[in-house]
Amino acid sequence: MKHDITFTINGESVHLTVLSHQTLLEVIRNDLGLTGPKYGCSTGECGACSVLLDGEVVNSCLVLAPEADGAEIMTVEGLSEDDELHPLQKSFIDHHGVQCGYCAPGMLISAKALLSRTSRPHEEEIREALVGNLCRCGAYADIIKSIQVASRARR
Amino acid sequence: MRAVGSSIPRFDAQDKVTGQALYPGDIHMPGQLHMKILWPDQVPARITRFDVSKALAAPGVVAVLAADDVPVNEYGLIMPDQEVLVGRVGGLVRSIIDQVALVIAESEEQAEAALDLIEIEYEPLPGVYSIEEALAPEAPLVHPEKGDSNVLLSYRIRLGDVEKAFAEADVIVERTYRTHPQEHAYLQPEAGLGFVRPDGKIEVIVGGQWMHEDREQIAHALALPEDQIVVRYPPIGGAFGGREDMSVQIVLALAAQKTGRPVKIQWSRGESIRGHHKRHAMIARAKWAAAKDGRLLAAEIDVSTDAGAYAYTSTKVLGNLTLACLGPYEIPNVKVDSRTVYTNNIAAGAFRGFGGPQGHFIAEMQMNHLAEALGMDPVELRMKNLWREGSRLATRSVLPPGVTVRETLAACARDAGWEETDAGWQRPRVEDLPAAITPVHRAFSLDAAGGRKARGIGIATSFKNVGFSLGYVDESWATVELHGAGAIERVVVHHAGADVGQGAHTVMRQFAADFIGVPLDKIELIADDTDHTLNSGSSSASRMTFMAGNAIRGAAEEALRLWREEEERPAIATYRYVPRPTTPYDPETGEADPNIAYGYCTQAAEVEVDLDTGHITVLNLWNVTDVGRAVNPAMVRGQIYGAVAQSIGWTLLEDLKYDRGQVLTDRLSTYLVPTVLDTAIHIAPDFLENPDPQGPLGARGMGEMPFIPTAPAIVAAVHDATGIWFDELPLTPERVAMRLKEVGIEDQD
Repeated sequence: MKHDITFTINGESVHLTVLSHQTLLEVIRNDLGLTGPKYGCSTGECGACSVLLDGEVVNSCLVLAPEADGAEIMTVEGLSEDDELHPLQKSFIDHHGVQCGYCAPGMLISAKALLSRTSRPHEEEIREALVGNLCRCGAYADIIKSIQVASRARR
Repeated sequence: MRAVGSSIPRFDAQDKVTGQALYPGDIHMPGQLHMKILWPDQVPARITRFDVSKALAAPGVVAVLAADDVPVNEYGLIMPDQEVLVGRVGGLVRSIIDQVALVIAESEEQAEAALDLIEIEYEPLPGVYSIEEALAPEAPLVHPEKGDSNVLLSYRIRLGDVEKAFAEADVIVERTYRTHPQEHAYLQPEAGLGFVRPDGKIEVIVGGQWMHEDREQIAHALALPEDQIVVRYPPIGGAFGGREDMSVQIVLALAAQKTGRPVKIQWSRGESIRGHHKRHAMIARAKWAAAKDGRLLAAEIDVSTDAGAYAYTSTKVLGNLTLACLGPYEIPNVKVDSRTVYTNNIAAGAFRGFGGPQGHFIAEMQMNHLAEALGMDPVELRMKNLWREGSRLATRSVLPPGVTVRETLAACARDAGWEETDAGWQRPRVEDLPAAITPVHRAFSLDAAGGRKARGIGIATSFKNVGFSLGYVDESWATVELHGAGAIERVVVHHAGADVGQGAHTVMRQFAADFIGVPLDKIELIADDTDHTLNSGSSSASRMTFMAGNAIRGAAEEALRLWREEEERPAIATYRYVPRPTTPYDPETGEADPNIAYGYCTQAAEVEVDLDTGHITVLNLWNVTDVGRAVNPAMVRGQIYGAVAQSIGWTLLEDLKYDRGQVLTDRLSTYLVPTVLDTAIHIAPDFLENPDPQGPLGARGMGEMPFIPTAPAIVAAVHDATGIWFDELPLTPERVAMRLKEVGIEDQD
């Protein structure tokens, strides 16, 4: 079955026709050509496809595209504004929060959601916020540090 | 500012944090087809019926390819013992890692649907699914064409007289150890694109660790000259050894050649877990002897590894393991018998540490047990026996200069609270350690109600070779171009070394900047294309910093000479770095000069064991690796964090389960890799910088070393906490809780 849906992604309104079984991840990657959100498992177990849906972190591989109708979505591509890197992105660069980088788009989205809720999170809050995002390079300590520094830089 | 020694950000970090970096699965071409693989569902089995006609007639299907479509249907990194595709009547399925056939269609859905239309029937065959079964008399043979045994390769080392030493020893420890397979679980599953270029060459865009080796294997299977194949590596989502062998490389090239159109493939997580090799499972019996004063007198080890159904790098891993199982110790009498055996499990191969973790689990657990039997501090016992400058290996060769394992042990022991007293090294008492438990794990552990806990501390040390071993002629090529008129305005470096996330390409730029004496922003690196680079060898064996650094230095020196002495611009020099030669094991005695160079690493672990649930938390992990020279200190620490996360995973959490050759844990909710809550609460990622005389600016390889001592350090800490020795990994809560129950600890107050 086909659905006509409209949602906002990274500030832009898009109108699409999708099939019932298509996931939000497939639509973002294949129809919209945004490859920031990564394919890692398709079962909500790795967090590489994390996006913000109405401000909440979701695994976009577990969201059916028709469910996104009317929603406001942000992917990692929407973090920077006017070519200015988000403080989290700057901090991940400066403090080596990236190794292979495949988890980074999801990590950054989870971190962004955390900082929206809590401007100066404690380490334990950061760990809690990242528990759905696997990093097989094991860069967790540098990721936590990157988020801490970014939160301190924000005013 | 000098570039080397500076924690500059990775050159590729910005693309990765903005989502602009295109990994193999992110790259598309107009008109591309989609490919799906038919995997076998029975192992081992003979294919008795194979008919693709219905699949070929299905909507959207462009081609179905099977065994008869592969020009030279064989491949393998060390030996070509695996078929590219096994789909044909009479075809033999040895493992679920085998690929039966390829369906190539206009859409992924059409390819997927057509897989079901391939008519295939199997005749089940008897199999072997463990080392013990493979070695049993009359065992079914995994490769009947290779003779009458499942043993792929065996090695032996003989030094002195172990029987005499056992007769004279004060203390003998004899134990059996088992370690389990490990899945790489890099976050980016295998993916890629193959196409025929306008110039007629076949190009494959894929993630790997050694693009020239990929090219060679593709060319071999397609019966084409190597210069007709181009391999390109975009950003790669982790590797850890798991991308050293072929996965989608050959089949992408084949599909592009047969269809004439671009062909894309994306493996699912389940396909990735079944479709590439694993860390070797191991079983070992070890008997070591010591004198009362702690001097090691003899070591006898019999060790076997599960190679799975195909060789991959099993022979090379066995070579490393055969030495690693003796640890970094001077032992006058040695008898090692090692072998790697075919089974019908998934092939085993390279994984960070490459036999080092299994070998050191034997050696360091023996040292743990000996320390207990002798009533001696574990650091003191090790110090009495560790290699020194000029020590000889059991293979009779002298260690290359720069032997610093003692320095790592001393530094790590001090970090973890050991003290060197007049009576020797003395361990800290756990009650003297600072209370290290943060509230973090309290909140998330299973025992928020507050169960009974025990804390303990343990330590282990290790060595790891840098570079390819045992007679392989290792090499690394670099080309440096110096552009400009009066001054050097631009430097172009060509080097094929793969950046799999460890940051190799950033390190290469740092080296180039300092060797040429220009700022980093003048360095341009071309490293992603076999058409514009020469062989670099693999990003493995902790060798890329060492090998690439030396190669870039050689090319830079020659280019600078040309710049000074010749008129021609740009000044271009190509250099092949070949390290000092090594030699293979003598078949009878094991005599060899096995390795180019070594790195050393010691770790101490403080753990908390939940006596009710068996759950182990690593509170502190102190690491000291001698890296020779930290080219990029932040990235060195990143490698330590990462290795420790993976080794804690291997030790406590990751538990690949087979049932008669089938993987039961084929997703990330059943095969558990550490989340941010499962690695050590606090990791001290310290390193030393004692230069390796052979290393570029003194640098040693270091990527694997911090994996190696973790397991025996944690097991020693668990023993310290509970009095129980675990000689088998992993220490999952179930296994620990059962043992606690057996010994009655759960009844204590």
